[in-house]
Amino acid sequence: MFNSKKSFLYAIVFAAFGFTACESNDPEPENDGEVITDVILSFQELNLSGTPTGAITTFKASDPQGIEVGSTPTIDNVTLTKGKTYQMKIEVRNSIENEDITSEILAEADEHQFYFLGTAFVGSSVLTYTYADSSGDLLGVVGKVVVAKSPGFNNANMRIVLRHDLDKNFPGASNPNFENFIQAGGETDLDITFPLILN
Amino acid sequence: MVNAQTCNLSIRGKVIHLENNEPIEAAYIWVVEAAQGAVTDQTGNFNIKNLCPGTYAITIQYLGHREIKDTINLRDNSFNKTYRLEEESFNLSGVEIHGHRDAVQTTTAVTALYGDALMEARGENLGESLKRIAGVTTFSTGNTISKPVIHGMHSNRIMILNNGIRLEGQQWGAEHAPEIDPFLADEITVIKGAETVRYGPEAMGGVILVNPAPLFTKKQSLTELNLLGGSNSQMGNIALSHSGGSGKIKGLGYRIQGSAKRAGNVKSPDYYQNNTGMSELNFSGSIGYSSPKLGIETYYSFFNTSIGILRDAHTGNLSDLENIIQIGRPFTDGSFTYSIDNPKQVVSHHLAKLKSHYHLNENWKLNAQYGFQLNLREEYDRRRGDLNDKPSLDLQLYTNTLDLFLDHTHSNEFSGTWGVNLIQQANSNIPGTGITPLIPNYDMFNLGFYLLEKYSKGPVELEVGLRFDSRSVQTARYINNELQQADLNYQNFTAFIGGLFQLSPTLSLSSNLGSAWRPPNVNELFSQGLHHGAAAIEIGDPNLNSEKSFKWVNELEYDFKKLNLTVTGYANQIQNYIYLNPTGENVVSLRGTFNVYEYLQATAFFYGFDFAGSYQFTDNLSGYAKGSIIRAKNTDDNNYFPFIPSDRMDWGIAYNFGKSASSQTNKLTLSNILVSKQKREPDFDIAAAPPAYALFNLAYQRGIDLKGNKLNLGLQVQNLFNTSYKEYMNRFRYFTDDVGRNILLKINYKF
Repeated sequence: MFNSKKSFLYAIVFAAFGFTACESNDPEPENDGEVITDVILSFQELNLSGTPTGAITTFKASDPQGIEVGSTPTIDNVTLTKGKTYQMKIEVRNSIENEDITSEILAEADEHQFYFLGTAFVGSSVLTYTYADSSGDLLGVVGKVVVAKSPGFNNANMRIVLRHDLDKNFPGASNPNFENFIQAGGETDLDITFPLILN
Repeated sequence: MVNAQTCNLSIRGKVIHLENNEPIEAAYIWVVEAAQGAVTDQTGNFNIKNLCPGTYAITIQYLGHREIKDTINLRDNSFNKTYRLEEESFNLSGVEIHGHRDAVQTTTAVTALYGDALMEARGENLGESLKRIAGVTTFSTGNTISKPVIHGMHSNRIMILNNGIRLEGQQWGAEHAPEIDPFLADEITVIKGAETVRYGPEAMGGVILVNPAPLFTKKQSLTELNLLGGSNSQMGNIALSHSGGSGKIKGLGYRIQGSAKRAGNVKSPDYYQNNTGMSELNFSGSIGYSSPKLGIETYYSFFNTSIGILRDAHTGNLSDLENIIQIGRPFTDGSFTYSIDNPKQVVSHHLAKLKSHYHLNENWKLNAQYGFQLNLREEYDRRRGDLNDKPSLDLQLYTNTLDLFLDHTHSNEFSGTWGVNLIQQANSNIPGTGITPLIPNYDMFNLGFYLLEKYSKGPVELEVGLRFDSRSVQTARYINNELQQADLNYQNFTAFIGGLFQLSPTLSLSSNLGSAWRPPNVNELFSQGLHHGAAAIEIGDPNLNSEKSFKWVNELEYDFKKLNLTVTGYANQIQNYIYLNPTGENVVSLRGTFNVYEYLQATAFFYGFDFAGSYQFTDNLSGYAKGSIIRAKNTDDNNYFPFIPSDRMDWGIAYNFGKSASSQTNKLTLSNILVSKQKREPDFDIAAAPPAYALFNLAYQRGIDLKGNKLNLGLQVQNLFNTSYKEYMNRFRYFTDDVGRNILLKINYKF
C-alpha cells in the first residue's frame, strides 16, 4: 500500500521544494499625495456691491518636508487694513507632488470645513468671517472677511483649522468661529496660526 | 522486626506512552501478592496504599499496549517509578493505531483550555478566550481586536502555534490581532515559561498552542455544528466541522472545518461605538495517514477578517487627541449598523503545512515539518476622494518554516529531541498606498539548532535544553526618494533547565529556569514618521540590540478530593527590553502638533504570581477562584512600563442540577470579575489609568444526550448589570467605555 520509508523521503523532498525562497519585492518610492506643504491665503478687497476689486495680496504658510522631526513651517504675517472688507480665498497645495489639494476639498465639500479661530476671530473680534463658497456649502475655501474699523488691538492670531469627515449638522458646526469644532467629529487636516497685523 | 504497623507503605508511579511520553489515563496496575489494584489518573499517576514491606510482582496493562511485569522490593515509602508502555502495533502490525498529537513536553507551567471551558469561550476571539486562564490577559484595541498577554508579555514576546506552525503575521502592531480561528482548536494550551529552545526566538514570555483534535485513524465520523448569537453588536457566528476515518485504508483520516462571523457596532452602556463592526470567514482542512511506522499529515487553514476601527479614535493631531481624551467617550451616541467604513483593517492569512514522522525503530523517530504562510494586511484610513479606496498600509508577508528533528525515547530514563529549524521570511510593501511605508521591505533568514534531553525517574523529571540561533535581516525602503538599506545579523545561545517533582500523590511542583532572546523587530528598528490615527511620531533605532531574558517559573499543584489548587510564581529579568518612550518633544507642522516617541532599551524586571483553585462544597455546589498579580519595572530608571495588566481576580459559584458530577452538564454559574486600578503607571501617559471595576456574569450550560448524539446549550449574560467601565489594557480606553451587557445563546450539536 504505502512504502513508509519512501513516503517519508518524498515528504521531505516535497517540503524542500516548498522551501523555494520567496524574496521581498524591491521597494518603490511612495508619493505622499496627501501631505499639505503649502497654504496660501489671498485677499482681495470687496466694493460696496460685493464685487472683488483691486490687487490681490497673498500670504503663505509652507512646510516643504511635510510632517517631519526637525522641520517647522514658515508662516507669513498677514497684513490687512482696518475698516475694509475682503474676499479671502484659501489654496492648499502639495508641493512635493505639485498637486492642488483645494480641488479635492471642493469635490468633497460635504466632508470638509474650515474654521476660523484665534484672537482675530473669537472674543473681541477684529475680523468677522462669513462663508461665501460658490457652491453654497459651508466650506470656507472662499469667504468674506470684515476688518473692524477701530479694533481694540492691532496684532492678533488667525488660527485656521481644516476639519475632515465631520458632522456638518452638529449643533453649532455652521458657525465659522465654532470653538468646539472637535465635537462635531472627524479629524484635523490643517491647523495653522498666522500672525495678523492691522494697519 | 515483624510489625503490623509498618504495613503503611505505598507503591507510587506514573504510566506514559513510550512513543511520545504522553501520560496514559486508565492503565491498570495489579499487585499480585497483595491482590490489590489501581487505575492511573489523567496525568498517568497511580498510588497503591497500605502495603507491608516485602517483594511484590506487579503487572501494568493498557489496551493495545504491551504488558509490563516488574518486581519491586518495597522497603520504605520513597518508591516511585515511571513505566513506559510500548504500543503493540509496532510489532503486531496494527491492532490499534492511535492518532498522533504530541503532548507538550515541558517542565514549565502549562494550562490548557478544552472541553466545557472551551465551549463557554466559543464565539470569542483567541485573546478573549484565553482570558479564562489565570495569568493570561489581553492587550486590546477596542472591543474587536485583542492580543493575548502572558505574564505581562505580548506581541513579539510570545509565540502562537497554529497546529504546530509558528504563526507569522504582522505581530508587532498593537492593533494587529493574531490571525487564527479559535474554532479550529479542540484544545488551546498556554505555556507560561520561556520556551525559546523548543520553539525558536521570540518565545520569551510564553507560547500558545492552538491544536485541533487528532485525526481519526479508523472508520468513524463526527460532525459538529456550532450556532451562536449575541445581543450586543447583534453578533452571529456559525461553525461547522466534519471529521472522518476511512474504512478502506486503515489509518487514513480527514477533517474539514469552517466558520463565519458577523457583528455590528458594539454597544457600551450609554452609546454605540460607531464603526466597530467586524466580519470573519475561516476555513481549514486536513488529511492524514498513520501506519505503525509512518505518519503523514497535510493541513491548510485560511483566515479572513474585516474589522472596523472606532471612528472617533482616529485623530488628526495632538489637540484632536487631547480633546477626545478629555471627554473620554465618542462625540456622538452612534447607532447600530453592520456596515464597516474606514478606518478599517482587512486581513487574510493562509497557512499550509506538511508534517511527517517515521519510526526508525522502536526508540527513534524522525520528524519533518514544513509550513508555508502568506499574510496579507491592508489598513484603510479616512482620506480624500479615491484615496479612501486605497489602503494606507498594504503588507504582504511570506514565511517558510522547516523543522527536522529526531525524537528518542527509551525504556530507561532518558528521552530527548535533537533538531534543526529554518525560518525564511519576506516582507513587501505593496506600492500605491500614497504613504511612505511604516516598515521597510525585508528578507529574514533564521537558522537554529537545538537539543533537549529529559531524565525521568519515579517522581522526578529533569529536563535541559540548548539552542543556537543565527539570524540575518536585510531591509530596504525609500524615504523622500532616497533608498535606505540595512543589513543586520544576530546570534544567540539560549538554554534552560527544568524539573517536575511529584512530591506526594496530591502535590506536584515544577520549576523551570530558561533564557530567551528576541531580535528587535523591524518596526522598532526602522519606524520613522507619523503613526496615522494615533497622533504620534515614532522613531526607530537601527542600532538596537537583541533582548535577552531569564525567566524562572515555578508551579505548585495540589489536587485532593474536593480541593484543587494551582499557584504559579515567576520572575523574569530582561536585558535590552525595547519600549516606546515619549521624548517629551513635539513636532509642529501645518497639520498641528504631534508627540514624538522613540524606541529605547532598558533593563526590565517582571515578577508576579497567578493562582487558580476550585472547591466542591457539596455534590451540587462548587466554587472557583483565579487571579493574577504582575509587577514590571524599568530597573535602570526606576519607573514603570506602560500597558502592564493591573491586579485582577475572577471568582464564582456553580450549581449543578444533575444528580451527580458524571451525568449530563446542567449547570448554572454566577461569576464576578474584580479588576483593580493600575497604580504603577509610567511617568508619562496621555491619560490616567481608569478606576477599578467589578463585573458580574451569569452562565447556564446544559448537555442533552439525543440517541447518542450530543446537544449542548449555553446561555450567558456577560456584564449582567450593564456596568460602564474602562480597562487599562484597552488602548481605546482613552476614547470609549468598554462593552456593555451581552446576552449570548450558544448551541453545539455533535452527531
